[in-house]
Amino acid sequence: MSKLNGTDIQGFVLRGYNLPFARYVFLHFEDAARARALIGRLLEIITTGQRWDHGKPQRTVNIAFTHRGLAALELPLATLLSFPVEFQQGMKSRATILGDTGINSPECWDELWRENRVHAWVAINGQSIAAIEASTASLRSLIEETAGAVEVGWQDAAAIMDAGKATTREHFGFTDGFGNPDYLGVERSTQPGQGKLMPDGTWAPLATGELLLGYADEAGELPVAPIPHILATNGTFMVYRKLHQNVATFRAYLKEHSGQYGGGEEKLAAKFIGRWRDGTPLELSPEKPDPSIVQDPHRNVNFTYGSDPEGTRCPIGAHVRRVHPRDAFGFNGRLINRRRMTRRGLTYGRPVAQNEPASDREERGVIFMALNASLSRQFEFVQQQWIEYGNDAHQGNDKDMLMGNHGGQGKFVVQGDTTATNPPFICSHLPNFVELRGGDYFFLPSITALGMIAMGLVDPR
Amino acid sequence: MPNQNGSVFGLTILSPIIDDEKATPSHDLQIRKYLATLPTGPESPFAQAPGTHLARLVVMDDVVFVGYPAIEEHLQSKYLVFETNCDADLDEYLSGLAKAVPDHLDAIWSHCVGYPGVANSGAFIEYMKACQLETTLFFAAVNDKSVPVTLRALQTQRAVTDFIADHQGMEPARLQKEFLEFVGKLESEPVPKPGTMGPQRALKTGGRNE
Repeated sequence: MSKLNGTDIQGFVLRGYNLPFARYVFLHFEDAARARALIGRLLEIITTGQRWDHGKPQRTVNIAFTHRGLAALELPLATLLSFPVEFQQGMKSRATILGDTGINSPECWDELWRENRVHAWVAINGQSIAAIEASTASLRSLIEETAGAVEVGWQDAAAIMDAGKATTREHFGFTDGFGNPDYLGVERSTQPGQGKLMPDGTWAPLATGELLLGYADEAGELPVAPIPHILATNGTFMVYRKLHQNVATFRAYLKEHSGQYGGGEEKLAAKFIGRWRDGTPLELSPEKPDPSIVQDPHRNVNFTYGSDPEGTRCPIGAHVRRVHPRDAFGFNGRLINRRRMTRRGLTYGRPVAQNEPASDREERGVIFMALNASLSRQFEFVQQQWIEYGNDAHQGNDKDMLMGNHGGQGKFVVQGDTTATNPPFICSHLPNFVELRGGDYFFLPSITALGMIAMGLVDPR
Repeated sequence: MPNQNGSVFGLTILSPIIDDEKATPSHDLQIRKYLATLPTGPESPFAQAPGTHLARLVVMDDVVFVGYPAIEEHLQSKYLVFETNCDADLDEYLSGLAKAVPDHLDAIWSHCVGYPGVANSGAFIEYMKACQLETTLFFAAVNDKSVPVTLRALQTQRAVTDFIADHQGMEPARLQKEFLEFVGKLESEPVPKPGTMGPQRALKTGGRNE
């Protein structure tokens, strides 16, 4: 595998920008020719995966399309019909499969997502709010000049700040953003523990085709992709989910139940997730947070569950153990290598300090964006089987403690031992700590493909 | 040892389907139509007969030709494939089926060559055994315990979990008293019906995510 062509791949795919501010603008196309003209103009400002030799830019711009959007751009029917069926259907139609029912069902989503008007996602990331505003202004003037689209909504997101510095914490107070996989050919400062587990216990990059279309995947096959090949190559699929966080409910539940738990509140919180709030993996430090581990790139994602089969350090149903089981399912981790995703999330809404009263009604949560070559094999499988069902994790019908659509009926078992501060414990009547407020499936094309779309040159023959 | 794992028996039966040009629709289509109407879950005939962990009925038409360089080959007959993980012993299981759901069995297998009907239980068992293949692979989710033992274990697991969740941190003397009451009550509960202990899911495709 030679090095990938970073100038042909959108930068959002190849690297987490770690820029503290973002705005996701949602567009609707009314006229294909004018929309194509807009995309042509946008190409001038789209951020590619080219290396940042002169430091981080002030701002970045990226674009992706729903299937409806590609249809509005009048791609040939033979191309539109060649996309994987789950992408053609869109996330709303997949609600039953994904367990997006009850209060997570599409009729409860934000108005933007209840309608079928979103054709494109334009993501602006920036060093400052001023940079975001400047990029928004450029985007709006291009839209105005070309009359290429109607803005149907936007979503602002920002990292939670601590003493003026951007953190990777989310609203429940946990440090997030560990554990994105490495892929062959993607330049990145790699850490042991990323990628896939090898029989000798080392970690290696995943096949490129788990992330990008047009390359061999972990099965040695090309991922299912639209035709022509050049439209798909260097592109990927993205799931966008607006996940509302019920901070008040989370805090109240934790407080109420930790009263009966011998390990105390912070330990119970860590047992939910599998990491202490500062990010220390429970597996490596079951008794207390250890900043030296979090800060050590050789250790903070470098662990397995093999020596903790009973879950007495990290519960078998803890969030991170369920969604990234590492070696926990045996077979040297091979059962999970085709279920990995690259996450690009950011929090939205005003953060609320631990000592400040919180309300579930305030707009607050995480914009979850995950990139994968196959929405159905990767994202949908994880959502259906590992989040909304517990069989693979040997947790019966139990859903993921943090993300599950529990509806007040959920259960989570904290395995323990005979020490007083690490007792077994059962959390029952789990409410929904996280609620889905909308989202969709997007195709993130390569720079070449964007050019073909802009020029109306997509030819499936 | 093939066919048996603990208290569980792996049964595979291939019954040739009658090839009669005059039958309209053909016998294989008649079986397919009947199978498509059978309920799943607790209403399934196999949940109503004793001792079934898992049952699967498939009409096997032929070998699929996948194109060159494969060689085109054909089966001598269409087959009805019946696979089940059931409680041993086999004679007891088959006679239990014949007793519990005779109409279903006759409606399905009457389209197969040489099927004698369930009215004569001995002949029915002999026929099924004549069609039996050796089974060495079991359905992965079935353990080696009998159906009633498995159902009782699931019921106990669920009840004990609920008990713990409701009694964590209780003062020991009261906990013991309530636990003894709980055990007495649990022991007097009937074994749950097969098919009732799984997750309640809107999806009816057996977990296939498409």
